[in-house]
Amino acid sequence: MNPLFDTQLQDTLKGVFRLVVPEIALIGTACVVFLFGCILNRRWLWFTVSFLGVILAMILAGTVKTHTPELLTSASIVPDATANFIRWVALISAAVLLFISWPEVSRSTAAEYYGCLLVAVAGASLVGRANDLITLFLALELISIPTYILLYLPVRTKLNQEAAGKYFLLSVMSSAVMLFGFSYLYGLTGSTNLAVITDTLTKANSETLSPMALVGIVLFIGGIGFKITAVPFHFYAPDVYEGGPGGVVAMLAVLPKLAGFVALARVLGLVGGDTRHIPFDANTQLPLLLWILAILTITLGNVLALLQDNIRRMLAYSSVAHGGYMLIGIVVACSIPDATGVMTRSDGATKVIGPSVGGIDALFVYIVAYGLMTFGAFAVILYLSTPERQVDSIDDLAGIGQTHPISAGTMAIFLFSLIGLPLTAGFAGKLMLFMGAFTAPADTATMRNLYRLLAVVAAVNAAIGAYYYLRVIGVMYLRTALKPIQSSRAAPTLIGAMVLAGATLFFGFYPQPLVNAARKAAPVPEIPVTITADAK
Amino acid sequence: MSDPIDLALIILALPLLACLNAAVTAVLKSSLSKVAHVPLVLSCAIGAVLGILLLLKVADGETHRWISNPITWFAAGNLKVSFTIAVDPLSAIMLAMVTFISTWIAIFSSGYMHGERGYGRFFAIMSLFVFSMLGLVLANNFLLLVAFWEGVGVCSYLLVGYYYEKPSAAAAARKAFLVTRLGDVGFLLGIFLLWKMGGWNTDLSALFDYIAKTPPDQGELTLACLLLFCGAVGKSAQFPLYVWLPDAMEGPTPVSALIHAATMVTAGVYLLARCAPLFAMCPAAQITVATIGGVTAILAAFIALAQNDLKRVLAYSTVSQLGYMFLALGTGGAISPVFAVTAAMFHLFTHAFFKALLFLSAGSVMHSMGGVIDMRKFGGLRKLMPVTHLAFLCGAAALAGLPLLSGFWSKDMILESLEMAAEGERYTGGYYVLLLVSLITVFMTAFYTFRAYFLTFWGPERIPEEAGHHAHESPSRMTIPLMILAVGAVGVGIAVEPFNHKFSHFLDHAPTLQLAFATSHAPVLEHHGFNWLLASIGTALALGGLGLAFIMYRKGTETLPAAIEPVFALSRNKLYVDEIYGAVFVKPAGVLAFLSGAFDGFLDAMARLISSLPRFVGWWVRPIQNGLVQFYALSMALGLTVLLTFVAFKIAR
Repeated sequence: MNPLFDTQLQDTLKGVFRLVVPEIALIGTACVVFLFGCILNRRWLWFTVSFLGVILAMILAGTVKTHTPELLTSASIVPDATANFIRWVALISAAVLLFISWPEVSRSTAAEYYGCLLVAVAGASLVGRANDLITLFLALELISIPTYILLYLPVRTKLNQEAAGKYFLLSVMSSAVMLFGFSYLYGLTGSTNLAVITDTLTKANSETLSPMALVGIVLFIGGIGFKITAVPFHFYAPDVYEGGPGGVVAMLAVLPKLAGFVALARVLGLVGGDTRHIPFDANTQLPLLLWILAILTITLGNVLALLQDNIRRMLAYSSVAHGGYMLIGIVVACSIPDATGVMTRSDGATKVIGPSVGGIDALFVYIVAYGLMTFGAFAVILYLSTPERQVDSIDDLAGIGQTHPISAGTMAIFLFSLIGLPLTAGFAGKLMLFMGAFTAPADTATMRNLYRLLAVVAAVNAAIGAYYYLRVIGVMYLRTALKPIQSSRAAPTLIGAMVLAGATLFFGFYPQPLVNAARKAAPVPEIPVTITADAK
Repeated sequence: MSDPIDLALIILALPLLACLNAAVTAVLKSSLSKVAHVPLVLSCAIGAVLGILLLLKVADGETHRWISNPITWFAAGNLKVSFTIAVDPLSAIMLAMVTFISTWIAIFSSGYMHGERGYGRFFAIMSLFVFSMLGLVLANNFLLLVAFWEGVGVCSYLLVGYYYEKPSAAAAARKAFLVTRLGDVGFLLGIFLLWKMGGWNTDLSALFDYIAKTPPDQGELTLACLLLFCGAVGKSAQFPLYVWLPDAMEGPTPVSALIHAATMVTAGVYLLARCAPLFAMCPAAQITVATIGGVTAILAAFIALAQNDLKRVLAYSTVSQLGYMFLALGTGGAISPVFAVTAAMFHLFTHAFFKALLFLSAGSVMHSMGGVIDMRKFGGLRKLMPVTHLAFLCGAAALAGLPLLSGFWSKDMILESLEMAAEGERYTGGYYVLLLVSLITVFMTAFYTFRAYFLTFWGPERIPEEAGHHAHESPSRMTIPLMILAVGAVGVGIAVEPFNHKFSHFLDHAPTLQLAFATSHAPVLEHHGFNWLLASIGTALALGGLGLAFIMYRKGTETLPAAIEPVFALSRNKLYVDEIYGAVFVKPAGVLAFLSGAFDGFLDAMARLISSLPRFVGWWVRPIQNGLVQFYALSMALGLTVLLTFVAFKIAR
């Protein structure tokens, strides 16, 4: 049949737009802001307009029906639960970022700043629902390109310029690597649609090993590695975090990671569709590769963070380490499809049980917790920085326990959460990830006890991490300032930080709603467990 | 509003709001912190009104227990912990009592603490304390209960150590916290054991039902009960863990009133009352509870005989009275647990009134004496402080168990339960001895209470020089609570129990008590009349103690005949229990600590060695972060190559 007259295709093409209405609203708002920003330079105005845009997007996300059953599976957008979860995380991040970036937005560049922010958020949200290599790539670039501009906007020093330049060059390179990987995937399957690629490769993989597909996916992982700051693609992070403007860096620390991880999960077939099959040679190569990446990333991030005296560089390396923790979720999820789940029990009963943590759900919980505490930490730094005196070194925070009790209190909450102490969101996230690694089905040929080892390495690293975070708390509370710092008096930033601290504590006391949401987005796969009677 | 659960939640939320409010004003050093007491007083007062409403609702209701829909707090495997509260006669009565007593203590504190440093902090912690206690009372989940239980502990630590600049206060706070923690270890173990036995339930109601239906191994259940009792021993200051309570007098006096009268120390009694269905199944655990209660009652009463510090006399009397409550609790099973628990709860209820009254009166004395509380330094305050004097007299008479006052009725009920248990089937001899012990304690109680009363208020007027211009009756916001509580101490007993049996009928309906009765296989209690013989013996003993105190102390000074001096010296030195603990536990622990310290030094060195490893690794890999973007790009490319090679080799193999 001629596709021109295929009614289903027509419906799909029309229906697809309804799935991205909130993103369209965001980009529309950004266009308005860009356009009229040339005429009017008002910080308050563009802040309000952008915020209303985000609210509008939220309302649309809540009201527009996404359920369109007649949609072709080969459409380039999928409206599944994962996509919705990512969208909400992105939209809430947008609102938070608008608030906390307040002090660094200058009057003359306000429109560009907020416009770029909205576009980047729309990109992150689109990554969650991309079902096509091209959509995925475009969505990822939709995050990157505004980020280049944002890094350049408030250029004051050479350090700023250097940071922006480095980010640009390395980001372009990583995109190129990713495209190279995509070309393999397209070449092997003849389609850019992710569903088709997954199906084809799964079928092919069940018969014989496909080395080229693995090469393609390794290149893709390399490209995504830049976004999620996996070692050895993390080099830009410390330099950019140090030189970039605080609010942009906060965004840079969270949105690309969110997008990167969901893209990784999507391409590996770990979310959406049947997660019992993954298209790549799961039981031998891929989990091991990711396992190595995770360990390298966690360890290197943590040991280098130990040596930093600059708080932004410290947070950069800590963000590298947290990226590594999140990789654990991916590693665990990769293991599940291959598990046979044979258990031996004395009563010989058979029932279907799943692992308690699926990996991706833990990853989602962690990324929300990570977002809360990272945004929060940068918000406090922004709040305490003034144009005359930036908070750069850890020593700049000395004595703020006395002079700025609220800032210090919220910062302490974020740092405790970054350590992963109980009753903070960070603890809930770490607990789920570690439990995932500890209970992962260990009956695949190559992995065996490696999951437990991973959990142990991660736990040791969490202890190392505690050292450098606690050091900051010690400086804040136990030392007195040589030069007391002024705060920027940016009320929105302070409010943002307090709300984030409240949320961190809330999800620490009561993580169930977050866990439920993450589980809805990425249900724990069920493994039919064959329980055989005890031999003895 | 109409649902009891909603009412209870509102009562629970009020002090939390008050706490947040007081904390915010205290942190911001706002001028509002001068009126920090207002939120607490209001929340307690409204809570008390709502609590009495709730009480009426529960009494009228067709059903006798409401359980809120559980909200999952966390769940992992078999362990599921939820936020859930239960309103039944037992918790309703505690709720009303705690809020009522707290209201008057809060009002009193606003006068007592006037002008102290950290006024806002004080009321913030007090509010949190009341909140934790109410949560403890309502919690229908063991782990939730533990959370509030520890919350009470933390607040008491903060309140006892309120004058944290004072070394003795800091030490007392630490002691209170650590000693109760000792008991808590057992408590937690007990909960886990019950969790295992009780079909992996942590909700109290579900757990009790499960255990009643499928009775576990008797030995295991007894062990679990005894472990729970450990927690109660720590919290309710029973032998051998009572040592923290007298030291806790270092806190401001209203705190002592709050901790010792209505809250904290009664938590242990309440816990056992709540868990009556479990205890009713284990006679061995019950006799242990009763024995510990008896030992504590007489031991603490003996120590109270010769204390010179007015507050310490009261503190030891609290310990002793709590022993009475455990005595009553310990008879459940031998007799109907409904009666045993009712006796204990009734004594808890009346004790809350007169002990709060006594402490607040002592606080009033201390306030006007400029912080002096040693009875040797003042005396004859009858004329100077008429309201305080009368209030203290009411409280003392109630505590001594003089006829018709509230303490008389509740003590009588306890004696009666012991007497019935002594006529029962198991451990009759034991219960008989315990009955004798409690009768002796009645005598001693009357004696030391009135000793304190005569020493403080009779004889020639003596005022320490620290008092200065303070030496006058306290302001009205301190005396009004005294008057109200005095009325309660005198009348609350006769009003609710001896003639109309309102209290016992009310508690009769408590589902847990009914369950306890069903599991205990105790003989059905035929309602026999007032036990005139026992009541007369008790009255005679109390009057005897009073009389002896009058003869010895009516001049307001202490002159001891040489014959009983050694006995008093023994009592004054608290039977050397602190010293014995010091020699038996603390000294060996000190040696052990030294050895551990040496070992720790070794481990520390090793740990330092290990902990320097990450730093070394970091220092070693640091040069790769050299800031050159070309190098970064090259590393990324090389990294990718390594990954690809890795995959290639793995496939080739």
